Amino acid sequence: MQRSVLVLVIMSVIMLAFLPWIASDVMLQFAINTLLLATLAQSWNILGGFAGYVSFGNSVFYGLGTYGTAIAMAQFGLPFWVGLMLGALLAVICALIVGLPILRLRGPYFAIATLGLSGVMGAIVSNMDIAGANIGLILPLTRADPMFYELSLGLLVVTTVCVAWLSMSRFGMALIAIREDEDAAGTMGVNTTRYKVAALVLASLFTSIAGGIHAYWITFVDPASAFDPTLNVRMVIMAVFGGSGTVFGPVIGSFLLSTIYELLAFWISTAAALLFGVVIVLAVLFMPKGIADLALAKEPGWRYFLRNVREHRL
Amino acid sequence: MSATAVPVLEGRRLTKRFQGLVSIDDVSFSLAENEVLGLIGPNGAGKTTLVNMISGTIRADHGSIFFKGQPIDHLRPFQRAHLGISRTFQVMKPFPGLSVLDNVVVGALFGTGGGETSIARARESAREWIEFTGLTHRIGQSAEALGGPDRKRLEFAKALALNPKLLLLDEVMAGLNLVEVDEVVGLVRKVRERGVSILIIEHVMKAIRHLSDRVMVLHHGEKIAEGEPSAVLSDPRVVAAYLGTRRT
Ligand SMILES: Nc1ncnc2c1ncn2[C@@H]1O[C@H](COP(=O)(O)OP(=O)(O)OP(=O)(O)O)[C@@H](O)[C@H]1O
Ligand SMILES: [Mg+2]
Repeated sequence: MQRSVLVLVIMSVIMLAFLPWIASDVMLQFAINTLLLATLAQSWNILGGFAGYVSFGNSVFYGLGTYGTAIAMAQFGLPFWVGLMLGALLAVICALIVGLPILRLRGPYFAIATLGLSGVMGAIVSNMDIAGANIGLILPLTRADPMFYELSLGLLVVTTVCVAWLSMSRFGMALIAIREDEDAAGTMGVNTTRYKVAALVLASLFTSIAGGIHAYWITFVDPASAFDPTLNVRMVIMAVFGGSGTVFGPVIGSFLLSTIYELLAFWISTAAALLFGVVIVLAVLFMPKGIADLALAKEPGWRYFLRNVREHRL
Repeated sequence: MSATAVPVLEGRRLTKRFQGLVSIDDVSFSLAENEVLGLIGPNGAGKTTLVNMISGTIRADHGSIFFKGQPIDHLRPFQRAHLGISRTFQVMKPFPGLSVLDNVVVGALFGTGGGETSIARARESAREWIEFTGLTHRIGQSAEALGGPDRKRLEFAKALALNPKLLLLDEVMAGLNLVEVDEVVGLVRKVRERGVSILIIEHVMKAIRHLSDRVMVLHHGEKIAEGEPSAVLSDPRVVAAYLGTRRT
């Protein structure tokens, strides 16, 4: 069972790696976006899914990754990989500074506290000349979509392998215990603060690298899109839709929702956003634990959906 | 003073108020190595509050707690667990979404001395504690699915999995039938034989009488009696405290 899943996943990754040779330009662009979004959802999953801390501040790490790369390349003429590292460094430092005080808050209080983060950081950046103030920065143009595609795929694979390791490790067990009952976890010897901060740092690392790749790919950054709070909402929806706290749920959720959105936008452009919202409301009503849970459910379809409605009503 | 005379646990003049109401009022006590101290008192006497102070989930307003002679007042709950202090919760705290096995694994992974580093070894020791508490037939079920008595057993197994030096048991027998109570009394005895020091809170007097070397009685947060079990349980003040507030 486990082994067959592993084989299936490895085969899929190998096949996906060959996509640039067969896909059209538009298709490849869609694929890059999807892979980056999946990485964001998977990163969100580390703290949000495993430790149960719903963060709306991850778009800050994305923005810092974006700007780290942009500043290094546009202002100092440094190579791309140096930019990625600078972005990652900024994000990790931010996670450490912000994480310690904010991760003391529980449940909705934590979520609310993280809501303001991207706004604050966006405002700071739009007042920094080195970051191009509120106009933004233009990066050197590179027409290399296949490279960006392979990078994005590689990043998603690395992030997912990390989450898979997490799910089997002592670290992951600590996060899960925190999610299930933080006080009980503490009295059983789990250093809750340390593990929560570590989870946030890990999430910030992958999130910022995704931001850096995106920045170089579209060759332009500005505060509004780099620190866009709706990006964070998408991370949450995709991770939860697929199944937060699972290894593949967030990836499957992002792939499916990105595809649905793209198809809707193509066929019925104005109604796309609306229908997307409907899909989400229905999903939350009938399968709040995500696709991963649906796939593992023992009962036939309709009974599973009805049980969820019954169990999760007030 | 010789090394063996240092008590495992000592509380000195502990006081705790909640919004002006005194829950623990200037209480001092000690627990010797490998001793079983029974803690009794009517509902609301402050027993759970005392356990919370020892395990570190709440802090004392005044007074100090010493573990093996060292003050632990500044330590967070996880640090106290690493020292070897483990507890059960009267209002049980299972990890609801996890299996019985995983619930107990957490204790083995993070308990005394920082816990096991290997998941495989932690699983092995968790299995032993699950067997010990008679939960093996439920090992794969989710904690949510357990009935009352099995939840109590799980709470006990989780606390034991930390491999504690000091075990604080807060009403692990509440809601159990007579046969089950006798089972748990047997288990507590076995734990004690392994050299663990135990503070046990129970309303089941028969169990307290059978298990305790000494009994301490709280009433309205004050210590009103302490000593040899049969003497304490027949102390007129203790009887009066219980009769005056008996619920059931
Ligand atoms: N966190 C808290 N906030 C406010 N009051 C509290 C808190 N914890 C305990 N108390 C109060 O302190 C007093 C002692 O409560 P405690 O739970 O320690 O009693 P107990 O001896 O364990 O009783 P029982 O036998 O019913 O478990 C009670 O009056 C209770 O209402
Ligand atoms: Mg109590």
